[in-house]
Amino acid sequence: MSSRQLLPRRAAPAAAVPEGAVGPAARGRRRQSPRARRRRWLGLAFAAPALIMYGFVVVVPIVQSVSYSFYSWDGVSTARFVGLSNYTAFFTDPELGEALAHVLVLVLFFAGLPILLGLLSAALLGRGKLRGAGLYRWLLFLPQVLTSVVVAVIWKRIYGPNGPLNSALRAVGLGDLARNWLGDFTWALPSLGVIGTWTALGLCMVLFVAGVAAIPNELYEQARLDGASPVKEFLAITLPALRGQLAVALTLTVTGALRAFDLVWVTTQGGPGTSTTTPALLLYRKAFLNPDVGMAAAIGIVLAIICLLVALIITRLSEENA
Amino acid sequence: MISRTERLLNHTVLAFVSILVLFPVVWFFFTALSPNQGGQLDFGNLHWGNFGTAWRLGGFGHAMLASAVITIGAVTGQTVLAILSGFAFGVLGVAGQRVIFPVVLLGLMISAEVFIVPLYYTFQSLGLTNSWLGLIIIQIGMGVPFGTFWMRATFRAVPVSLVEAAEMDGARAWRILWQILLPISRPAVLTLALLSFMWTWNDFFLSLIFIADPSIQPATLALGVFQGRHSVDVNLLAAGSLIVALPVLVLYAFFQRHFIRGVLNGALKE
Repeated sequence: MSSRQLLPRRAAPAAAVPEGAVGPAARGRRRQSPRARRRRWLGLAFAAPALIMYGFVVVVPIVQSVSYSFYSWDGVSTARFVGLSNYTAFFTDPELGEALAHVLVLVLFFAGLPILLGLLSAALLGRGKLRGAGLYRWLLFLPQVLTSVVVAVIWKRIYGPNGPLNSALRAVGLGDLARNWLGDFTWALPSLGVIGTWTALGLCMVLFVAGVAAIPNELYEQARLDGASPVKEFLAITLPALRGQLAVALTLTVTGALRAFDLVWVTTQGGPGTSTTTPALLLYRKAFLNPDVGMAAAIGIVLAIICLLVALIITRLSEENA
Repeated sequence: MISRTERLLNHTVLAFVSILVLFPVVWFFFTALSPNQGGQLDFGNLHWGNFGTAWRLGGFGHAMLASAVITIGAVTGQTVLAILSGFAFGVLGVAGQRVIFPVVLLGLMISAEVFIVPLYYTFQSLGLTNSWLGLIIIQIGMGVPFGTFWMRATFRAVPVSLVEAAEMDGARAWRILWQILLPISRPAVLTLALLSFMWTWNDFFLSLIFIADPSIQPATLALGVFQGRHSVDVNLLAAGSLIVALPVLVLYAFFQRHFIRGVLNGALKE
């Protein structure tokens, strides 16, 4: 029967391949028993529903996206081929350039700050099993499961003219600093950034503290005997051990900053003026509000390429030997 | 051993950060119970009725139903497809997988922004915009990469001898999957289903694009509309937000380990 032998491939001994099994079709490729080959076709049948859905929703539209991105199209009239001009717009269109610059600021708040603070706390928290670690983890991870719209609504209220932030400032006599934070040209973007810090800080701490807990205590004891300072201890033991966790945290937070949409849309819609626009926001506008469909597709492709590069670079760095 | 001072310092730092994280949520919760529009806290006079009022004004009955239908459809579809394809890639092997597998792998790093524009026009021509089915299909398709990787890794971790023993007894693919692999893998399947629930329920971007008709919009979208319309009624707005967040929060309260492990491991990829 085709499914009689179901061993995973890694477990199939090479010697089990019968000599006669190597037909003309298999020659020059890998030697496979007819059984194994049949099993792979059965496997394809099992995977087919998933592959078809994935192809329909993701793969085919990606290819279409690439082709859309070479056209200028308002969604209704005939599309016009424009070559690479949607892509060169990234270097010339002030709106796009500004959106990309905003991403850099967001990366600082979404990734930089949470990771730095997370590392700092991991260094402080150092060794040993902590009582109540489970409770802390539960609390710190909470923002990760909260719907982004709800996060946005909460913070919109916190930043509001009569919100708790301004009330607190007035209460301590700093009333002059009180303002409508999200409506302020200078402060809107950093204010958005702080929301990202709030969301990501817990994730980074949970990751790093768990990573530190997995480091063998003997390493630290040895370092102490050698008279290493806490800073040296951190640099020589903790940081290298957290390489994997750092890669995860960076990938999640940096791509989060690159793709920021929900939070921005619900809190500021990109305003005031254009002070909080992000590429994803421009993509949405150009695709569905003032259609410039080719441009929207190009923004999507560029975002994807940047995200892929970021992921690749981070994986590379994290796997390199110290 | 760590010293007492160090332990005290650890707790202080963690407690401080926990308060920073928790304060906005707790404060928002009491805002939802505030007796007045402005949302001033009043602990002696908690208005639980705000939840009922928000529910009615925001049409959250409809919206929660929409979210429930979309989420249940997507979770079921994603989980079943993930089990089948995880089994195929992890145990059986797949014809042509040297080409197919990297393409699936790529999907882990690709987000909706890349394919949303053509997908919208395709769905429009098929009549799948403004429909729950359309959103369910998108969620299922987008869930394939993560689901495949998750279940593949899970099935690969099952001891080979178990599968071998079943084969000796003459079990075929279906039986091996349903009677041997799945029962042992139940915790991993639960994690997958929970994450898929969270991602679908919390989605805003896709719903915003594909659902224009207010009468069928899911809860996150309804909340967005509600906050535009009732921005003065801060207490009701907070109540509405908590209604929308509640299902995931309840699941998180019960299955927090599954959520945390899933998000952290899921991001590790392979």
